[in-house]
Amino acid sequence: MNAIDRRRFLKALSSLGAAAGASLLTLPEARAAAPKARVVVVGGGFGGATAAKYLRLLDPGIDVTLIERGTLYTSCPLSNEVVSGERHIKTLQTGYRGLAARGVKVVHAEVTAIDPAGKTVATAEDGSFPYDALIVSPGVDFDYAAVEGLTQELSETAIPHAWKAGPQTLLLKKQLEAMPDGGRFVIAVPKGPFRCPPGPYERAAQVAMHCMHHGKKKAKILILDANESFSKKPLFEEAWKALYGYGPTGMIEWVSASAGGLVERIDAGSLTAHTTFDDVKADVLNVIPPHRAGKIARDAGLATLKGNWCEVKPENMESKAHKDIYVIGDACVGGETSTGNGFPKSAHMANSQAKVVAASLAAKLNGLPAPVPIYTNTCYSVVGHDWGFSVVHLFRVQNGQWVYIKEGSGISPVALGTKQAPKPVPRIYRKMEAEYADGWLRNLLADAFA
Amino acid sequence: MKKTALSLVFLALAGSAAARGDVDVLARTCNGCHGLKGVSVGLSMPSIGGLPRDYLRNIMKQWKYDERTAITMSRIVKGLSDDEIDALAAHFAKQPWVPAKQPATPELLAKGRSAISENCEDCHGFTGSDPDVGVPKINGQWAKYMELELAKYRSKEFKMPHRKMKKAAQDMKPADVSAAARYFGAQSK
Repeated sequence: MNAIDRRRFLKALSSLGAAAGASLLTLPEARAAAPKARVVVVGGGFGGATAAKYLRLLDPGIDVTLIERGTLYTSCPLSNEVVSGERHIKTLQTGYRGLAARGVKVVHAEVTAIDPAGKTVATAEDGSFPYDALIVSPGVDFDYAAVEGLTQELSETAIPHAWKAGPQTLLLKKQLEAMPDGGRFVIAVPKGPFRCPPGPYERAAQVAMHCMHHGKKKAKILILDANESFSKKPLFEEAWKALYGYGPTGMIEWVSASAGGLVERIDAGSLTAHTTFDDVKADVLNVIPPHRAGKIARDAGLATLKGNWCEVKPENMESKAHKDIYVIGDACVGGETSTGNGFPKSAHMANSQAKVVAASLAAKLNGLPAPVPIYTNTCYSVVGHDWGFSVVHLFRVQNGQWVYIKEGSGISPVALGTKQAPKPVPRIYRKMEAEYADGWLRNLLADAFA
Repeated sequence: MKKTALSLVFLALAGSAAARGDVDVLARTCNGCHGLKGVSVGLSMPSIGGLPRDYLRNIMKQWKYDERTAITMSRIVKGLSDDEIDALAAHFAKQPWVPAKQPATPELLAKGRSAISENCEDCHGFTGSDPDVGVPKINGQWAKYMELELAKYRSKEFKMPHRKMKKAAQDMKPADVSAAARYFGAQSK
């Protein structure tokens, strides 16, 4: 009997009890007085919010505390549309009232330390929180020092990465608006893994769309990439070519690492990116620094993979380093990494991982058998007014290992027909997925925060 | 008496616990795009909770076996077994149908009312809430989604196996498509 069955049982019991004259109305109060377990969630992004919500949904007898420093969350997915002016940032924002209404104790504080042995979480403002189980969903930190000349302060004032949606997204938007026709917008992509694998390439398209619609047809968007390939590549290249022009003579140009795309150093004063081969002067310089797991996870010894990423167990996302600590979202590493099919660092993936943890914990705390986990991801990119596409992932767990299920994964069709006689994908397919993107984001935000 | 009733509840739950445990986990993965209990809050994504089991099962299997075109869903369902599809269809069919609130002006309702009389009402009913057996409810379904779906039925680029629906959609006047979708979307009961 899993948690949901147990609730159904309680519901059935309560109707029987009423007939028998017993009062079961006191049951929730009795449980509130003595919670069966205390679960603390660190980080209120898509992963942490979903985990807190689903724990309460699956078993209201569990005491759930979510610790998050911010009071307003801005979705990274679709935030490139804010940069281009296609979308207002408010459509991507949510507070934490929805979680509070579900009985999650929301604490706005900065977590300063995790003590895995003493099973407590310390905060700067609100003392410490004991836990029976801890879910860590801190997202990523940016390694500014990896790019010579870049600092956190420069990112906040002059060279935004805008890779955590919020003030920097708006700063980058302002810089784009001020860019003259013929200006050069440079996006420096870090070596993977990074958050939102298709994000930099979607950004290039959104910036190009802005330029097309604002009389800047001579603008250049240059992607300097520390990698040799990228997510949804054939789909992006088709769209770039059709909508904006692609290549040395087009509006968008992509430079791979081996062609000199790796940005090693920048000069903030002259907005110059120094690559292995060249010095590139920019009008807008958008440097996305390399990532690693959030500091709080690294400090707690959870980042077991090269000190950068947190390894977890396939069956329930429990840390390989510490018992009763679960790491989800962009900070963790998982999936079928041996074949290059690791978990993408995406909001939907974090949402899915959070549900696995919630189901596993709800079962464990009720003495029920562990549920069979399943991990899914859906991610849309919007590259023009009526041009979008997606990637989906499905992972199952077999013999204690993640298995990438090819049949349930993949990008939108690149061509129809057969390999010998391919036919172009009808334009209406791209239009449909551009429309789906908005519905997906609204549901994903609600599934995590409402 | 009480004891007997209780053990019956226990037995009923124990018998299906294994199968249901798995479908609950699986169904939760659908919520990310279709909402908790299949109640969508995204205009272009359909609500699926409370739709007929056979309808849900058929479209998922048609996508899986490439008998029907869905641009995103056809990839997702290919990773599911037929049993999982059956279980998901049964799971979402059991949820209550919750119409989305999409108010419309009296003028729009009148226009929509006339738009649906010829091609929609016969199968979906006057308000979309009382359809024929196996036909989805569309009262309070998202209008945006229904417009997109009608565009699929009207386009030659999509494989849509339901011949009657295809013909009805193609017989609609272009101006009636949006009016019909918004009319059904506005039916909040």
